[in-house]
Amino acid sequence: MIRMMTRKEFIKSIGLGASALFCSGMGYGFLGNENKITKNIRGRIFKNDGPESPWKWSMEGFHYATDGRTVQCQVCPNRCILEPGDRSICRSKVNIGGKLYSLAYGNPCSVHVDPIEKKPLNHFYPGSLIFSIATTGCNFRCLNCQNWEISQKKPEEVRHIELFPADVVREAKRRDVPAIAYTYSEPITFYEYMYDTSRSAREAGLRNVIVSNGYINRDPLIRLCKYLDGANVNLKSFEDGIYRGLNGGTIQPVLNTFKTLHQEGVWFEITTLVVPTYVDKPEMIKRMCGWILKELGPDYPLHFLRFFPRYKLTRLPATPVETLELLRDLALKEGIRYVYLGNVPGHEGIHTYCHNCHKILIERKGYNISKFNLENGHCKFCGTAIPGRWG
Amino acid sequence: MNLRRLIIWSIIGTGISSITTQLLTIREFLTQFHGNEITISLVLFSWLLLTGLGSLAAKPFERFPLGVYALLTCIIALWPLAQLVVIREFRDALFIHGASPGFYPIFFYIIITVSPYCLLTGFILPCAQKTLNTRHFTFGSGDLYLTDSIGDITGGVLFSYVLVYWVKPFPAIALTSTVLILVSLLLLLKSRNYILFLIAILFGSFFYYYSTNNRFEKHTLAGQYGNVVRYLESPYGRIVVSKKGNEHTFWESGTPFYSDLNIISSEERIHYALCQMDRVQNVLLVSGGLGDSLTEALKYNPAYIDYVELDPYLTDTALQLNVLKKAPCLEIVNTDGRRYIETTEKRYDAIIVGLPDPDTFQINRFFTSEFFSHAKNALKTGGILSISIEYAPNYISKIRKMKISTIYNTARLHFKNVMVLPGEEAYFLCRDGPLWSDIPARLKLKSISTSYIEGFFYGNVTKERIRQLKGNLDRNEFINTDFEPRLMNLVLKEWFTKYGTSTKYFLFGLAAFTLIYLIFIKREEYILFSTGLATMGVEMLIIFTFQVIYGYIYLKIGAIVTCFLLGLLPGAIIGNIRGYKDKANLALSEMLILFMLFLFFMWTAHYRNELHPMYFLVYCFLFSFLCGFQFPVVAGLIGEKRSPAAGCFSADLCGASVGTFIVGTILIPLWGIQFAIIFLIMVKVSSSIIILFFTKTRSLV
Repeated sequence: MIRMMTRKEFIKSIGLGASALFCSGMGYGFLGNENKITKNIRGRIFKNDGPESPWKWSMEGFHYATDGRTVQCQVCPNRCILEPGDRSICRSKVNIGGKLYSLAYGNPCSVHVDPIEKKPLNHFYPGSLIFSIATTGCNFRCLNCQNWEISQKKPEEVRHIELFPADVVREAKRRDVPAIAYTYSEPITFYEYMYDTSRSAREAGLRNVIVSNGYINRDPLIRLCKYLDGANVNLKSFEDGIYRGLNGGTIQPVLNTFKTLHQEGVWFEITTLVVPTYVDKPEMIKRMCGWILKELGPDYPLHFLRFFPRYKLTRLPATPVETLELLRDLALKEGIRYVYLGNVPGHEGIHTYCHNCHKILIERKGYNISKFNLENGHCKFCGTAIPGRWG
Repeated sequence: MNLRRLIIWSIIGTGISSITTQLLTIREFLTQFHGNEITISLVLFSWLLLTGLGSLAAKPFERFPLGVYALLTCIIALWPLAQLVVIREFRDALFIHGASPGFYPIFFYIIITVSPYCLLTGFILPCAQKTLNTRHFTFGSGDLYLTDSIGDITGGVLFSYVLVYWVKPFPAIALTSTVLILVSLLLLLKSRNYILFLIAILFGSFFYYYSTNNRFEKHTLAGQYGNVVRYLESPYGRIVVSKKGNEHTFWESGTPFYSDLNIISSEERIHYALCQMDRVQNVLLVSGGLGDSLTEALKYNPAYIDYVELDPYLTDTALQLNVLKKAPCLEIVNTDGRRYIETTEKRYDAIIVGLPDPDTFQINRFFTSEFFSHAKNALKTGGILSISIEYAPNYISKIRKMKISTIYNTARLHFKNVMVLPGEEAYFLCRDGPLWSDIPARLKLKSISTSYIEGFFYGNVTKERIRQLKGNLDRNEFINTDFEPRLMNLVLKEWFTKYGTSTKYFLFGLAAFTLIYLIFIKREEYILFSTGLATMGVEMLIIFTFQVIYGYIYLKIGAIVTCFLLGLLPGAIIGNIRGYKDKANLALSEMLILFMLFLFFMWTAHYRNELHPMYFLVYCFLFSFLCGFQFPVVAGLIGEKRSPAAGCFSADLCGASVGTFIVGTILIPLWGIQFAIIFLIMVKVSSSIIILFFTKTRSLV
């Protein structure tokens, strides 16, 4: 038999039910559309994944600590602690018998000759070509990586050619290319190969350029800077949460890299991919520009790149050109002297303008230079010295 | 209305509501996740499996109180709205906004979000019978199956032919839940649960308020799309147009496929092909014609440009928003591109296909040997065909190498010259005449100026990169055909590689689950399991074959699905009357199913020619007729005293779920259509053997 409710119980039940609905409705309203990233996609160490012995393209690590059994790689801020047989987050370093080995030495999987503007570097010997190499590996896990087929692979998983440091230099010279770029994947993960190659290249009179996420520790970077001529470093956002959620890293080590490059006198340009709903907020870009001006000064060029859906980040639209223009104007207004737009062919934001007289110094048609109004690194019109490496 | 009628109406109402919810949920998942063939199969698999498990859960109950039944029907009626809202809103809470998750996260998300509803709907059907039996109303398992089928057919037809054209998902739920809501309220009154009745009224009011509120529905989309300026539900999927500043992004089923000012893609797609021609008079664009593509094509002053796009809602919206600019020479044709190329009498100088990578059977049809053959027929002598796939210019992975080689080898069967240009995508230019790789030089010759190609081509598409790509072409790679979609298999493999996962664990789990399940079910139930598996498998194969032959036309595919639903009803009626408890009739139906599978096999092996669609429709009807026939017969053989409904429903549904996944994601992509039919024949042979040799009901093993 069903016990009837009292009137009071009934009203109470109805009231509770209605309150619950109201609260859930309100809560739903408050969910909003803001992208608050609470996830961290940092990579993980691959336990017992390394080979038993080094292969032909191995080199003992330059920066690591060991207690005779366990090793700690000290090249990048991940500082992977590897037991024997383990593989690092970047997939390139392994612990074999208590020693840290790089498996990416002399085995590039990608070798091309590119225009220097493709890196992008607009103030670094414009119009020149650069011999570009990459092995596999990356210490990040960027969801929009356009080179994921090499950056997120182990050296053993790809087809490669054999090109030891001396061969790289020889090959660049044979092709009459004046510089070598360590690029496409993340060169920090093939640090030993990059270091030895850049040293040989310097001795042979070639320039060295790194295209990187900047996620490297100070000591290996300072050691490398001795041979570095130029760099393009990604500043993927100016929020740690975005770095963790979209890239699997943290921002502070990247900022430190910029400071180190600045102190060591390496020419660099900064690239920011404007990912819609994440890296398109003017307030954040304003803070970013403030930091650049304070710590690095106004002279290093800043490139805003248009985002296109790639890899796993396929459910975001391409960045509206209007947003890029807005951010460029903002950065210029804040005091950054050279702000470029990338991935927007035909846009005026690809030319170089004198920061003093605002006339066009380098007019570009894609990678081609149609006008060059610089003389010995100075504006042809007003004589202002233009920061960069002009040759 | 008496209680018996009310409960019968509740079964029909559940059918109407659940089939609409199923269709809407599948569409919703396809917009939330990447809608490849794996995702489609995964949603169907999960849905059928959970519903089957729900039915299984009802097995231990011998009696069922009316009050609980009424409450459950009410929950089932109201739940679909919550389910859709949860699917939309919790995606970004669980996954990173804008990112596409991999196989396992998608699978778990589906399971989590649909399990309450599926388990309940599976559970309620046997309970309906038990509720009636508790009150001494005669209602056999065959009656239950038949009544449920009426609801399913009504819901399916109502949604697929009426609601999909007129209303958005939330109002569709409101409409199709109405019967069940009314019946559940009456049942609550009948069971004298007045408090629950009033609470149900309250919740029902909220349900109707939110489900008919257009602003609420649009708000649930804002998280994914941002500022929505157009939102349309077409029979082919969801079209959303978002706008930031002055720039539009078009989203089709959750994926942004067009953004304003994407000049790189437009120039590459149009000029790589058209600059090869001395004169361009007639151009056919198959998809990908929005925005600057048309502007670029007009630079050649063609006499006419035909733009074929499947979904009229898409082109209409693009025209309204000026994303597709009207031009005197432009004709828009809304039909299936493949079918158009097969049947058109026009002859073109260039056919430019702008479709994404073939990760569905539907798109695979544009990359097959048969397609290249038809395209060549639709070209004038010396005409050019351009088709493209995703490409990463800095490294050609093993799978990408296989993909490119497969398309290359397939195209080479029909064209004397095939050149692959490594642009932002890999462009396959197919022609019997000469092909030039120096695109800027060709454009200069024609005095055509471009923003991207002029400045970037020599830096991005270097001779060395072209040479490297050419060196990677493997002449021993497979040929992609309509009935053996090897390329699709590679695209799906690449998808798994991207996430570093494989279906290995899933398949192991599925095999273990199936084995355990088969150990415990009755032999008769295995017959339904195998028939469910074969029916879903055949349904997928028929849809696959049908769209290869007739094109992907919504109403035609809808007719196939409807025939599959319609056949169940007379089958169940006749099974209920004539075949009840008759083992000989069951054996006969098994033989007929085998015969029909064999017939299908023979047709695919030796004929494959175009049949009148009526043959397919009749085939589907007859196949599902046999499926419907078997249910009451098997239930009768088990005996009503043993309450067979729960076991039979679960066997049917679990078999269907396994069939969906195995056929759709493994057999067709890996081994082709014929192997898939052989597999289904083997499954049905096993159940026929069981019929021939079993004497009395017992467990399978």
